[in-house]
Parts: sequence; structure tokens; C-alpha cells
Amino acid sequence: MKHTRSRVGRWGAAAALVCASVWTSACGGGAAAPASDDAKVTDDVYAELVPAAPVLTRLTQAQYRNAVRDLLGDDLALPATLEPDAAADGLLAAGAAVTTVSPRGAELYEEAALSLARQATETPERRARVLPCEPTAESMPCFGQFIADVGRRAWRRPLTSDEIAAFELLAGDAAQAFPDDPVAPFTWALAGLMQSPHFLYRVEAGEPDPEAPGARRLSAFELATRLAFFLWNAPPDEALLAAAEAGDLDTADGLVAQVDRLLAADRAREGVRSFVSDWLHLHQLPELKKDPNVFKHFSPDLAAAAREETLRVAEHIVFEREGDLGELFTTRTTFINRRLAAIYDIPAPVLEGFGQTELPADGPRRGLLGHVSFLGLHSHPTSSSATLRGIFLRETLLCDMVPDPPSDLNTAIPEPSPDAPTLRDRLQVHLEDPMCASCHRLTDPVGLGFEPFDGMGRVRATENGVPIDPTGDLDGVAFADPAELAAAVAASPKLTACFVKKMYTYAVARPTEPGEQGQLAALTDAFEADGRRVLGLMRAVAISEGFRRVGEVQ
Amino acid sequence: MGRGTRLTRRTLLKGLLGGSVVTLGLPALELFFDPTRTARAQGGGGDSGFPRRFGLFFWGNGILPERWVPTGEGDAWALSEQLAPLAGLEDVLTIVSGTKLGVPNTSPHFAGAAGILSGAPVGDAYGENTFILPSIDQVVAAKLGELTRFRSLEFGANPGPGLSFNGPSSRNPPEKSPFALFERVFGAGFTLPGEEPIVDPSLGLRRSILDAVMGDIAGLQQRVGAADRERLEQHFEGIRGLEKRLAKLEEDPPNLAACALPTEPLADYPDVEGRPKLQEKNAAFAEIAAFALACDQTRVFSNWFTYPVNNTLFAGAPSGHHQLTHDEPDPQPEVHKIVLQCIEALATQIRALRAVPEGDGTLLDHMVLLGTSDVSLGKTHSLEEFPLVLAGGCSGRLVTGHHYRSPSSENASKVLLSVIRAVGLDAASYGDQGGQATEGLSAIEV
Repeated sequence: MKHTRSRVGRWGAAAALVCASVWTSACGGGAAAPASDDAKVTDDVYAELVPAAPVLTRLTQAQYRNAVRDLLGDDLALPATLEPDAAADGLLAAGAAVTTVSPRGAELYEEAALSLARQATETPERRARVLPCEPTAESMPCFGQFIADVGRRAWRRPLTSDEIAAFELLAGDAAQAFPDDPVAPFTWALAGLMQSPHFLYRVEAGEPDPEAPGARRLSAFELATRLAFFLWNAPPDEALLAAAEAGDLDTADGLVAQVDRLLAADRAREGVRSFVSDWLHLHQLPELKKDPNVFKHFSPDLAAAAREETLRVAEHIVFEREGDLGELFTTRTTFINRRLAAIYDIPAPVLEGFGQTELPADGPRRGLLGHVSFLGLHSHPTSSSATLRGIFLRETLLCDMVPDPPSDLNTAIPEPSPDAPTLRDRLQVHLEDPMCASCHRLTDPVGLGFEPFDGMGRVRATENGVPIDPTGDLDGVAFADPAELAAAVAASPKLTACFVKKMYTYAVARPTEPGEQGQLAALTDAFEADGRRVLGLMRAVAISEGFRRVGEVQ
Repeated sequence: MGRGTRLTRRTLLKGLLGGSVVTLGLPALELFFDPTRTARAQGGGGDSGFPRRFGLFFWGNGILPERWVPTGEGDAWALSEQLAPLAGLEDVLTIVSGTKLGVPNTSPHFAGAAGILSGAPVGDAYGENTFILPSIDQVVAAKLGELTRFRSLEFGANPGPGLSFNGPSSRNPPEKSPFALFERVFGAGFTLPGEEPIVDPSLGLRRSILDAVMGDIAGLQQRVGAADRERLEQHFEGIRGLEKRLAKLEEDPPNLAACALPTEPLADYPDVEGRPKLQEKNAAFAEIAAFALACDQTRVFSNWFTYPVNNTLFAGAPSGHHQLTHDEPDPQPEVHKIVLQCIEALATQIRALRAVPEGDGTLLDHMVLLGTSDVSLGKTHSLEEFPLVLAGGCSGRLVTGHHYRSPSSENASKVLLSVIRAVGLDAASYGDQGGQATEGLSAIEV
């Protein structure tokens, strides 16, 4: 079954109209994959959405910590380690729906819950945040209110009466075990709440949609949770829970009002930072290790600075500029500290911390692909790597498939020599050997475009005394230097479609399914029409049918 | 949680929840080992009632096969150039050479890692490599892990995400800090032989919570899809392991004469010149692992020294390890030096196990350690001439002091089947598809 697309104007301008169009299945349902010819049947029609089966998504480490902060306060010592995050479809957010809690992870969750519960109840000031009364020997009457309130925030839904009764039982046991400690029942109840799978996972069972017989949707609390983790990387606040409880999220207007409220809040910045970190694999930055004898500007604190630069630039483009996606790649604006300024060989804008500055117009450095977080991370410890940079650009930014090398292939490249002084010369073997060329022609020609930056990200004109030739083409678009390459990336239609896929995958927090291709195509077209504004895309994803619908349990 | 020391670790339990700690004497429990099994052979140590254990030592990016294979075969053999750091340990080693992995080499490094450690082809989970069967340490832990406080321990000097798999997309994350591992095993919750067990009113409450969590998980399992049911089952197993650990706190500690506290490691091992202190960290880990076995806190460990595709800057190396394996021209002298550092670390682990006296032999005599990597020749990701080092006779079940050279490129999984049978598994086969072995390698079995 196909649906006719009804295009609407800019999302920002016509909230109600957009919403109405996305809401009804006649318009929003589509699912066309940028990658698939089946997705868009004609220019005006998308393949119908087949909602993905519900999955159980574990809170990522950052989400766990944000949930603790929101529940108990921001002055607690958080656990140093938790179950590690792992990627699926290139995103940690999606990996959380695939990986498991290991025995070690269960141990860490118990340790964390016990420690956090103790901390949260150890002083009257902290107790006042979570307890409705200061415990005394006679305070059990307020336990019921406590468990209902804190439980609802911790589990992001009201507890059932059976669940409350179970915690009352636990509290009674705690009172018996520690008869002289009136706080103990509350402490142990908190510890129990935080070890439960209802806290550690986002449970999305779905429910029948009364307005669409036969179809299923997320329940209001499930939708509130998905919205909050998508837009804030944190659990729903009281206003969102209240909106869910009141049924507001079941209506188009109510949903849009909450989405706009969440996007307008300061916490949306944290949401955007979290997405960008996941999209660009900034969690790998702790692996940024350089030989200090080769790269004198390397220091162990560089990784954190590199991460901060990229996140601040993203925040600036998304919020202050409300700019086009391409601006992330072409901007000369950046935010650096003294250490990064030394690497970029420009004056530090501020003495301490990070300040805004403009990169030189006559230099090669532009946008995110001019950052240490890209140039340094996707290099070797003692040299640059056109291949690693090319793979990242292809796979992560453009969603191209770069196949693995065949087995038993000799992968050696020549050492630098007078005949082959530059990496471009040495990588020639990749392109001459047909076994290598099939993949390396995807990665090396674009990767070599970044050779004016060394393995740390410093500008250089020569390699082994020979001028570097950074020219090449990206899918047929010629570039003469990294600035032109950045512009070619910014203008690539693949970038747009890939970015939408990453954002959508991040939002639904699981790998995407083939039945969502039409939805992706519809979002991509709308994103394009909206001037590729990132906040506009987040809004459109949050109110899209694919975001709200689920299939049957499989 | 605070740091533990020999004198104060019991009071650290208070750190968890502020409960007051009291101790009570309980009647000593009889230990369950396998005292009835009699020694079968020369392998040193004999069967003297000590538990059988398994250790894995793994390094990434392989070897240089041309400099790896020992000279001579059978009992008359000599270490090769690359095995030279094992000098002095020959009598406890068995080197198996000439085998290959039976799995298809579909994903460089990971096909080999999955092939050797699980015996099965590598899987793909949404663009990420995964094992489709458990890794050997977890195959073994499924049996040996039931009896000890920790089902298994995973750690490593530069372990990456580790390759200890419970099943698809289910990894056991390795501990990266020797101090954290020391705390975990020998801090709060550990009692030396002869000390009285810990009694703490918190334990019952912790158990109540874990029971409730298991109930919640079981309830959720009724409502989710098949894949999530499996994932929850894994979580459930973890909780069950915690319950078992609480029960252990209330038992008398195992009465093993060799049990003692290992040297307390440093809190941190900062990089030098951008290079991690791999040998120092590994030495600390190796000793902790040895005493974790000696004190019967676990019977299974995996030491992930480095990981597949790691681009670590080794001491003295001009570039990262992985880059060198691909870019350095033959005969790859820098790669050779790095392999020697990996084998040095393996030797350190073996020596730490051999340094613990147990019965009339050493701890190493009552276990088997498997040392291996993800490829043989890193440059080509080859799975032929696969590196396999065994140490320890597993209470007389495996031969030692031996070099077995396969005349027919046998499937390396045969070695793993011999190993898991030696530690006590009643296994008909090991691995799956091309990697599956249905018979062990009789030449290394006693």
C-alpha cells in the first residue's frame, strides 16, 4: 500500500499544519530509504511504514548518570564504571537495544545503587529532595507517598499497587534489620528502585492505538520517556510525566507542545551534544594516543579539549545559528582553548577555558573535519592515515559501505623513499592492485584530501620535503584542498540522507528496520525542504509516525 | 567503596550501606573439590584434590609464523626466536604448531578471534562483530564458575572491549586497572582462610532486592520479544551470580594453604612517552589472578593483554602495533620486537601461576593456561600456523614439556576440545560449522 506525500512548508513556521500532516497516516507514514530504490516509489509516494517490533533499550552510561542526577541531585559521587556501552549501526544509542547486562554489569549496578541510595539519604539536606518527610521512628506513613512519587520518577511511570506493596515489604524488612535507623527503609527502597529492570531499561511494550484499529503505538509514558531521552538524553521531567498522565501526548497538539517545550529548554543542548558525540564517535577520543616524540603538542588532556571543541561548534551551529547541516562542515567559527590554539597555530581567544574564534580564511581548516577530534582520532599514533580518515568519512558521515579487506592479502605499503616520498605516492599500490582498489578507491582519494593536516591535525605544506598534493574528488565533485573537500561533503546528498538516518536511529534508540525506509525518505525530503536545520529535523523525528508507533512483539 | 586492606576490609562492608558489621562463627563446611580423581600421569603435581582451573592469555595482531615454530618435535624441542621469552618454562609448556582455524576468514582479525576462542564463525550484529557462541573461558565457567565467589574474572593491561563472550552481543567487560581488580577480589567481601565469615544485616536486604529484581526480570520476559528474552536471561544470570556471592560471604572461606593476599598494585600506571606501562600492569594483574585462583575466589580467568587491531605504541616501537603489522616491510623487525613483548607478558602470567606452591607442586600444575591471538601473520590476517601455547598439566590430564607439530594442518579447535575436557567438561565437541572439532588432540592428552 502506498501513500501520497503531502508536502508542507517549513516546520518551524506552521507547527499545527506540519503536525497534522505528519500525524495522519495518510501523510507521515512513509518510509523510504535513501539507500533503497523501493523506498520512494515515485517522486511523490513513500513506502508505507511497517512499525518495528518493540525492543528493550538499556540506559546508556550517560543516561544512567543523568537519571541519577534528576532523581537524587547533582552532588552525589557517581559510579566510576558501569556496564560499557557498545555500538550497533554505528551508534551507542542503538547498541543499548542489542547488548546485554553482563554479570560484571549486574555487579556494578548493585554497587552503584547501594552507594547512591546511601548518599542520597545520608544528610537531611539530601533527604529533603527525595523524601516527603524527615524520617522518625513513626514516619512509615509517609513511605507510601515516597515510593509512589520517587518510583514514578525513577521508573518513568506510576507504580502499580502490587509494586508499591513489594517496596513496603522491603521497607519493613529494612526497619527490622536496622531498628535504630529510621532512614533505612527509604535507603533500601531507593536501592531497590535503581536495581530494577524498570529503571535500567526503557520498557516499550506499546498498546493498541484506539484511533487506528489494528495498529499499535507507544503508551503515553513510553512515548514521554523516548522523547526525553532523545531530546535531553535524560528521563522525563515532571511536566512531561504530567502531560503523559493527562493524555496530552495522545493528541497531535499536545505532543507538539511538549516537543517544542523540550527543544526550547536548556537541556536540549545536552541532548544535541549527546547526539553529536554518538554520531561522530567522540566516545573513542580517550583512545587518542600520540607519540609525544613525533607530536610535541600531544598531551593526555588533549582528548577532552578536542571533544569540547566539536561539541561547542555543533551547539553553536544548531542553536545560535539555527544553521544548515552543511555549516557544520564549512564554518570557520570554532571554540578552542590554548592547547588547541597552539595546534591550530592561531592566537588563543581566551587565556582560560574555551573561547570563540574564526579560523583564517586563507587556511585549509574548516568545520568539524578540521578538528583534532577527526584529524587526530582517525590517524596513527605517529602519522596521519588517509585510509582511516577516508573510512570514517565514508561510513559514518555518508553511510557508504566500505567492505573488509579480503583475507590473505599482503597489505604492506612501501616505506617513504625518494621515489615515493608522500603518503599519496605510497598508497598508489592500493589503487594499482585490483584486490585493494575495490575498497581503497572509496577511502584513499578522499582521505588524501586531508593530508595537509598531519596525524595530530597540524597544518603542513610538505611531507618528507615534497609539497603535498591534496586534490581529488568526492563522488565526482572535484576538490583542490581540504576546504573544498569540506564544501563537497557539506553539499553531498549522501550526507543529508545519512544524517537523517543517524538522527532517527539515535531517536528510536535501536537499529532501524527495512520497513522504516519510507519514513526516512520522507524525513530526508522534509529536512532538505526546511533548509537542513538540525532542530527542525529533531522536531520532525519526534513527531513522526515511526517514532510513535511500534509493531507486535516478536 | 573504599579501599580494602588486610586489617580493615570487613569494615568496608559498611561503606556499602552503613549497616553495622558483626561476625559469628559458623561450623566449617567441607570443601568441595574433586578429591576422588586420581592422578593419571607425569604432568607434574598429580591429582591431589585441588580444583582444576582455566586461564586464557590473549594478545592482539598475531605473530610472525616464520620465527614462531619451535625446532624439534615431541619431547626434544627448543624454543623459537619469538617464543624465547618463555625460556626456563619449557617443562610446563606444550606448544602446538601447524594447526589452522576451520572458520571462514570473513572479517580480518575478528574471524580469527571468534574462530579460536569460540570455535565458530564470527557474527555480525548491526555492523558490529560478535561471537555467536560463548568464548572458551565462558564455556569453562559454565561448569567451574558455579562453585566460586566469582564465576570468572576478566582483565588486561590494554584489553579494549575484551573478547569474553557469553553469547551474541554479550561481552564480559575486562577490568583495566590492577588496583580495581585487587579491590574487587581482595577488598570488601574477601576473607582469608581461617577467618570467620562475614555476617551483616545488609546481606538479607540485598538478597531481597536481588530476588525482587529477578522477579521483575522474569515478569518482563513474558512481555518482550524473543531476542530481548535472551538478553534478559543474561541479566538474570548475572543477578543469580550476585546472590551466590552473597551466600559465599556467609560461608567459611575455602581452606587453601596457598591462599594469601597478592601485592597491592599501584593506583595508577601513567603512560611514559605516550606508551602504556604494559609489562608493569600485566605483572600486577598476573599476580592477582594467581592468588584469586589460589584462594579459590574463581577458577576461570582471562587476561586480555592487548586486543585485535590494537594500535598500541609499545615501548621502543616507532609506530602503533597494527599499523606496523601492515605497513612495515619484511622481515618486520619492529613487529618481531612487539611479539616478544607480548610473549614476555605471557611468560609473566605463567611464572606468577608457577610461583604459588600447591600440594607437592604448584598452582600451575592444577590448571591449564591457553595463550593465543586473533591471527597468525598479522600482515595478511592469516589463520594458518595458528599460535597456541599451553601451560600447566591440569592435574595430570595434559602433557607438558612438549612440542606437537600437526602433520596435516589440523583444526585448532581440537586443542580447545582437549583443554575443556581436561578441566572437567564432558564435551562431545567444540565449536560450530567449519570450526567444529568432535575429537581432541590425543597427542597432548594424557
